[in-house]
Amino acid sequence: MRVKYIVLFALLAGYACKKVIQVDLKNAASQIVIEGEVTNHTQTYQVKITKTVDFSADNTFPPVSGATVRVTDSSTGHTTSYTESSPGVYTTTQFTGVPKHIYNLLVIAEGKEYRATSVMPLPVPLDSVTFARNTDLSNKQSINAIVNFQDPPGLGNYYQFTEYRNGRLLPNIFVFEDRLSDGRYIRQPLFNDSSYLQRGDTMLLKMYCIDKPVFDYFNTLIAVTGSSNFQSATPANPISNISNGALGYFSAHTVSEKELIVY
Amino acid sequence: MLYRSCQCASYSAGIRILFVLISIVPAPFRTQAQQKYSVNGTIRDGRTGEILIGATVNFLEIPRAGSASNSYGFYSITAPAGKYTMIVSFTGYDPDTLALDLHKNILLAVELSSANTQLTQVVVSARKRDENVTKPLMGVQKLTTSEIRDIPVLFGEKDVLKTIQLLPGIQFAGDGNSGFYVRGGGSDQNLILLDEATVYNPSHLLGFFSTFNSDAIKDITVYKGGMPAEYGGRLASVVDIKMNDGNSKDYHIGGGIGLISSRLNAEGPIVKDKGSFSISARRTYADLFLKFSSDSSVKNNSLYFYDLNVKANYTFDEKNRVYLSGYFGRDNLAFGNTFGIDYGNATGTIRWNHIYNSRLFSNTSLIYSDYSYKIRINSNNNDINITSRIRDLNLKEDWQYFLNADSKIDFGVGSIHHTISPGVISASQTSSYNSLTLQNKYSLESAAYVSHEWSPAEKIRFNYGLRLTAFSVLGPGNFYTYDTAGNTIDSAHYNSGRFVKTYTNLEPRWSASVQLNETSSVKVSYTRNTQVLHLLSNSTSADPTDLWMPSSNNIKPEIADQVALGYYRNFRDNQYELSSEVYYKDMRHQIDYKNGAQLIANENVESQLLYGKGRAYGLELFFKKKVGRFTGWVSYTLSRTELKIDGINRNDWYPAKQDRTHDISLVGIYKASPKWTVSATWVYYTGNAVTFPSGKYQVDGQTAFYYTERNGYRMPAYHRMDVAATLQGRKRAVKSKRFESSWTFSVYNLYGRENAYSIVFQNNPDDPTKTQALQYALFRFIPAVTYNFKF
Repeated sequence: MRVKYIVLFALLAGYACKKVIQVDLKNAASQIVIEGEVTNHTQTYQVKITKTVDFSADNTFPPVSGATVRVTDSSTGHTTSYTESSPGVYTTTQFTGVPKHIYNLLVIAEGKEYRATSVMPLPVPLDSVTFARNTDLSNKQSINAIVNFQDPPGLGNYYQFTEYRNGRLLPNIFVFEDRLSDGRYIRQPLFNDSSYLQRGDTMLLKMYCIDKPVFDYFNTLIAVTGSSNFQSATPANPISNISNGALGYFSAHTVSEKELIVY
Repeated sequence: MLYRSCQCASYSAGIRILFVLISIVPAPFRTQAQQKYSVNGTIRDGRTGEILIGATVNFLEIPRAGSASNSYGFYSITAPAGKYTMIVSFTGYDPDTLALDLHKNILLAVELSSANTQLTQVVVSARKRDENVTKPLMGVQKLTTSEIRDIPVLFGEKDVLKTIQLLPGIQFAGDGNSGFYVRGGGSDQNLILLDEATVYNPSHLLGFFSTFNSDAIKDITVYKGGMPAEYGGRLASVVDIKMNDGNSKDYHIGGGIGLISSRLNAEGPIVKDKGSFSISARRTYADLFLKFSSDSSVKNNSLYFYDLNVKANYTFDEKNRVYLSGYFGRDNLAFGNTFGIDYGNATGTIRWNHIYNSRLFSNTSLIYSDYSYKIRINSNNNDINITSRIRDLNLKEDWQYFLNADSKIDFGVGSIHHTISPGVISASQTSSYNSLTLQNKYSLESAAYVSHEWSPAEKIRFNYGLRLTAFSVLGPGNFYTYDTAGNTIDSAHYNSGRFVKTYTNLEPRWSASVQLNETSSVKVSYTRNTQVLHLLSNSTSADPTDLWMPSSNNIKPEIADQVALGYYRNFRDNQYELSSEVYYKDMRHQIDYKNGAQLIANENVESQLLYGKGRAYGLELFFKKKVGRFTGWVSYTLSRTELKIDGINRNDWYPAKQDRTHDISLVGIYKASPKWTVSATWVYYTGNAVTFPSGKYQVDGQTAFYYTERNGYRMPAYHRMDVAATLQGRKRAVKSKRFESSWTFSVYNLYGRENAYSIVFQNNPDDPTKTQALQYALFRFIPAVTYNFKF
């Protein structure tokens, strides 16, 4: 935060400069990355398995094929198997997740076993989405969405928001917890760092109720993504809920969404 | 003799204990062959009446005998009855030689006059420019105000904290950061004292400037190791800053107009030669320019600081003198109406010097110290204020007993009551946040110490002492214990005034010097320091919202043991000085944070911490030319600082952020003519240890970076040259006052090196298939001009 303000001030005053540099980074052994979700909507679900690449490589991440993927609803004991629909992408038939149920993910890939558990929280409805105009320090005008909803009484509610602008997912991570807001009516602005909304755009806003491990994951992921301006001074891999050193997450969450035209 | 004088000080049990402690130290000095007498008094600048700190007093006839004036200018020297030649000397002043017939105790005030700096003439005072060789203390650095005046700094804003970073073992934390690292310590491990009051946040404008207005500063001493037993509370260093007392003979007004700030100071006698005052004020005005901007968003931003230093003293009689000093500073930073923060320190000190007799000096201090910040957020419906504060009340009593010409005892007791209010959030009705008050944290930090400076033989000096500290966590409050995962496993409530937990530590300190010959010596020292307040910070450098946390039932006091060995040599009649020191420091109970630690407004912040240990070692070389038209120094530090924290880097040792292999400073000041002084500095250091990614992957369609180790990379090496030239205006007489003025022109970063401030890894905005590293640099080539005046 501070770094950002200092740099912005200095840039404004003409004292700072920036340039792209070459950094000689060490190469690490490729790691496995797993992404998966279960929601309270009736739909098919995907688990994506990819690998890390060197920093200097292109942004093409090799898929991991031939894995065994299963999800079990431990509250009912029902297990669903995934089939590989395209390289590295594993898909289920349609089913509906149930709040308060515990979901266990099992992935066996390249001879190693990875497990994750996620508890689907009770749903909280997204009340409305409004918009506000902002001027940032470098005098750029921008529009940001504000999500409005009632946080239920009792600590331990965690939220995630994703924005789709004209059908395209915007590269931002927004999470919110009720640690300091328990029971409040929340009006939370979602400030876009890199993508600006335009009047007349179609905006689809999804609010997820997530469990604490998933909140911790995304809250620590923010500091290490390529679109973030809030990179940490001592960055570290996010706290994953997947075992055995895999990167990524498995999230059982509820969804409440609104689609509207940006005004 | 010792016990006789102790009767007059016998008003507290603690003091008696100290005397018992003193009496058990080896005391060959108690055997007395003949009647001894003392000469004592105060040493001052003859022109201004300012007391001089650290001026030396010697008897030519007893080479071993020597005393230095203390922080209040008091000196005392004792010798057998006889006739002596007393020499009083101080750097930058002409030495004074006095003939004494010592057959009774003598009260003798000494006034020294500033050395007449005739440029052609090289003044070599007969003795005592060799303190670095003869004194037992090591790891001590002092700067004179003239060195601070002549050395170029950012925006032409003289800054004592910036200038000390050119000395060996004291490392610049980087552009835009007034923090500094001493012998591998973090910037929160430095005890910064302004007239004995702790300054918790020594930075203005997010770290670009320090809180110390150099107009108000008389003396700055940095202890990097071998701290005298009177200091304690931080692991790495003590920066002891003393404010000007004010001219006790005449009224003067001075000031300066600079690129970003203006300064004004006034000083003069309250009663001539009995009391004086000094007031210094400063304010930046960069924000005033913002107001002229046509751009409304720029116009509503504000960014300024101001500070005020006030000091007054009054001498009631030969034995009693009272000092009052205060500091108040505030920073204000606002982005339009939506976000603002103001923060600052306030300190106040009342001191009473009392001279019991010609050999026993005492000082009683009542000290108040306060640091607070307030954040205002007004966005849409959210009106939120967040405040935090740390407040200290400190009562201490220090004595100095001048036993013999070659022996001095310092002892004292003190207690600081800390009140820390970690956070109060007040939110409006419509806000998304709840109002919240974190419980205040109360604690008591007490200490008693005794140390003895003693020269048992002509070439040997010892300084050994002991500091006993007790830190008590006080109620009221709820106290929690946590498991390793950070879950609360137990809690207990304590009422007001109850002691929750007390840590006691014994901190031995000793140093010894052996003078090899007239010009060289070897010294060795051992120091233990403890630290009971810890700064929790999410960022790389000092942030106004960093949180001071006292030790508690969960957080143990940090402990450091340091050993150092040094060789000192002076050349050519003490014109050149060489110091070399090696040190090794072992640190325990060091603190780090869990990944994703919630430090803000968290009642259970102690569950977010990780603990470990540290080690630091290095070699420091310092070569200084002290006199002549050209003065300056070369300083080089070779060092290593490593940490081992449970839960970080697979529990292996890793380089601390402030680990620097090489650190070099060159300083040159050249008096080209009576009118012109030019100066230049060059600094170079190995880049800080930093964590960079070793790969990347994709999550939710976003690129994320993959990390393998903490601090496994280095920022690029930092180097920079600054130059300055000062033009002394003609001295004119205006209404019987001497009017002096000067212009200082300076350029910061002369050759425009783009030193990396931060390196950010991001998506390439022009090519979504790529990622890139973007380097931000601050301050390329900054010229500045400052006008100073005094009359």
